[in-house]
Amino acid sequence: MRLAAAWALLPELAVRERAAAAERVALLRLACWAGAFTSEVCLRPQGLLLEVAASLRLFGGAARLFDAIRAGCVEQGFSPQAALAPTPLAAEWLAAAGDDRPCLDPAELRQRLNVLPLSVLDLPSADLSRLEGFGVRTLGDALRLPRAGLARRLGAAFAVDLSRALGERHDPRERFSFPERFAERIELPARVDSASALGFVGRRLIGALCGWLAARCAGVGECVFELQHERGASERPPTRIVLGFSGATRDPERIGRVLLERLQRVELPAAVESVWLCADMPEPLGGREGSLFGRAVGGAADASSLAALVERLQARLGRESVYALACVAEHRPENASQPVPPVLTSARGGVSAPPGGPRPVCLLPLPQTLSEADGRPQRGGPLQLLAGPERIESGWWDAAEPGAAGDVRRDYFVALSPRAEWLWIFRCEAGWFLHGFFA
Amino acid sequence: MSRSAVPAVSLAAVLDRADVWRGAALAGAPLPGVPSGFAELDAELPGGGWPRGGLVELLPARTGVGELSLLLPALARLSADELAWLVCVAPPYPLYAPALQAGGVALARLLLASAPGRDAAWACLRALEADGVGAVVAWLPEVTPTLLRRLQLAAEASRTLLFVFRPAACARESSPAPLRLALDGEGERLAVRVLKRRGGACSAPLSIAVSRPFSPRRALARPASAAPAARSPAQPTAA
Repeated sequence: MRLAAAWALLPELAVRERAAAAERVALLRLACWAGAFTSEVCLRPQGLLLEVAASLRLFGGAARLFDAIRAGCVEQGFSPQAALAPTPLAAEWLAAAGDDRPCLDPAELRQRLNVLPLSVLDLPSADLSRLEGFGVRTLGDALRLPRAGLARRLGAAFAVDLSRALGERHDPRERFSFPERFAERIELPARVDSASALGFVGRRLIGALCGWLAARCAGVGECVFELQHERGASERPPTRIVLGFSGATRDPERIGRVLLERLQRVELPAAVESVWLCADMPEPLGGREGSLFGRAVGGAADASSLAALVERLQARLGRESVYALACVAEHRPENASQPVPPVLTSARGGVSAPPGGPRPVCLLPLPQTLSEADGRPQRGGPLQLLAGPERIESGWWDAAEPGAAGDVRRDYFVALSPRAEWLWIFRCEAGWFLHGFFA
Repeated sequence: MSRSAVPAVSLAAVLDRADVWRGAALAGAPLPGVPSGFAELDAELPGGGWPRGGLVELLPARTGVGELSLLLPALARLSADELAWLVCVAPPYPLYAPALQAGGVALARLLLASAPGRDAAWACLRALEADGVGAVVAWLPEVTPTLLRRLQLAAEASRTLLFVFRPAACARESSPAPLRLALDGEGERLAVRVLKRRGGACSAPLSIAVSRPFSPRRALARPASAAPAARSPAQPTAA
């Protein structure tokens, strides 16, 4: 049908030109995504071929794998026309005819192909009309004809295709080679002003990234989202969101969670037109071994869940706000406890000797002055000194450094206030100070 | 017709359920509790210990009455014996590593998060969702009843212990927490009043011997009230 005729029938018809380049980009991204299911991906001008025979067991059978692939395509923003067949050509033809019932049995293949119209074959129109001249209406009619005669009349390639579709001949395909570095882009259908609305695009890109990583047996420790703003009079540099992880990962949930946390806190200087996701340095990451009897207890699973927790907390609260504690062998109380970045892999070594006297569970960052009456420190009344003094002194070596405890000369006591607070107080030349709570 | 759709349940079966209890008896718990390390306290807690799958609200009268010492035995047990992680959210003062280590907490499995305002409750929710976390201890002085309710629901869905410290003034407000304890010092011991628990009320305050930095058995060699007179450091004693 010509365009003018179409418009005559349907005046409100919206017409768009086919963008072959954009199709190719989208297909490349989908090929990366398909790496999550199989490493044998073949890029075709009209679609993708996935060799899934080796993946059937991992994904729980053909039907479930097929459903997962189709659902994933929908999530990636496509409406797939898919088919599952024992040979690549048969799968292509079934998909072109819109027959999406999985066909697993080679014996059943011929009956399924028999009913397909000739239009699925992508033949030149001259050949099509010749076939119709023989009285061939369906693929089944063509398959019934002697191959030698068909080859003489329509060319050898057509006859070879027919035997390849039936699995009588080998059909080698060129494998899609997954790129060395990942950089994929999604053009937004409309300008987006709020960062939190970018989550769905992000999830699609993360799906493609994780497929690419799975095909390369790798994980990322860091990946970068780049939000490109609309081009116009005032062109702005793209907004970069760097996502860091505590270890290499290719878990789309984990990456997506960190992205969402970050997006909620991004202020966009202008509307966003397209989103890039780049990952330059994939690190090798082995597969996960399932255990024979359900999920393994403790160990690696716990560590990855904890790593995800640490990343989510850090993404929202800031990197320094999430920490662990370590004991340091140092006599000044301020220095004996240090915040350190959380380490999730192995236990930290270095058990320092316990301090001589009692130590409070909460230590004030700066000692608080206590008033004094009749020679006794006060806090809601006179304090009762129960244990002490414990002399802690010296530290001249860092006295000049800013923020350091410096040279100290203190006598520490355990004190009980009339309000039943258990306190750690000290006396120095400047008077009485509260330094901690035995909470 | 519709009556036959309801399966017949005997009264005994209903009474056996963990979430149904008679007024006079202490409720059972769906999961056995984590022993608190204090037999007097365990006897009064449903499930025989700190309840998993429920919010425990602790209302200390003041900082320093021994509120953390009450938790330390259970936390040490979780972290050292069960190899579980401990997450502390928004402590009002920095926690002190040597004291925690002396209390038996494995510092390698301790995670702290300083989170202001509403982020603190959010951090608790995330920690409750994670696997491998044994206990979450949070200081939430300004938490709203709605958030507290969400925390309680999240705690019910996980096996993690959740302790929330709130100011003593909150004792008058209603709370969705199934277990609420008011804490106050009582000389060398800690007085624990059970404000709310599943099962019959517990009127008498419990007196718990938490670990204190000083016990009268090792008294001072010198009366401590005779503080150093001059503004110079006290003389070290050979105690």
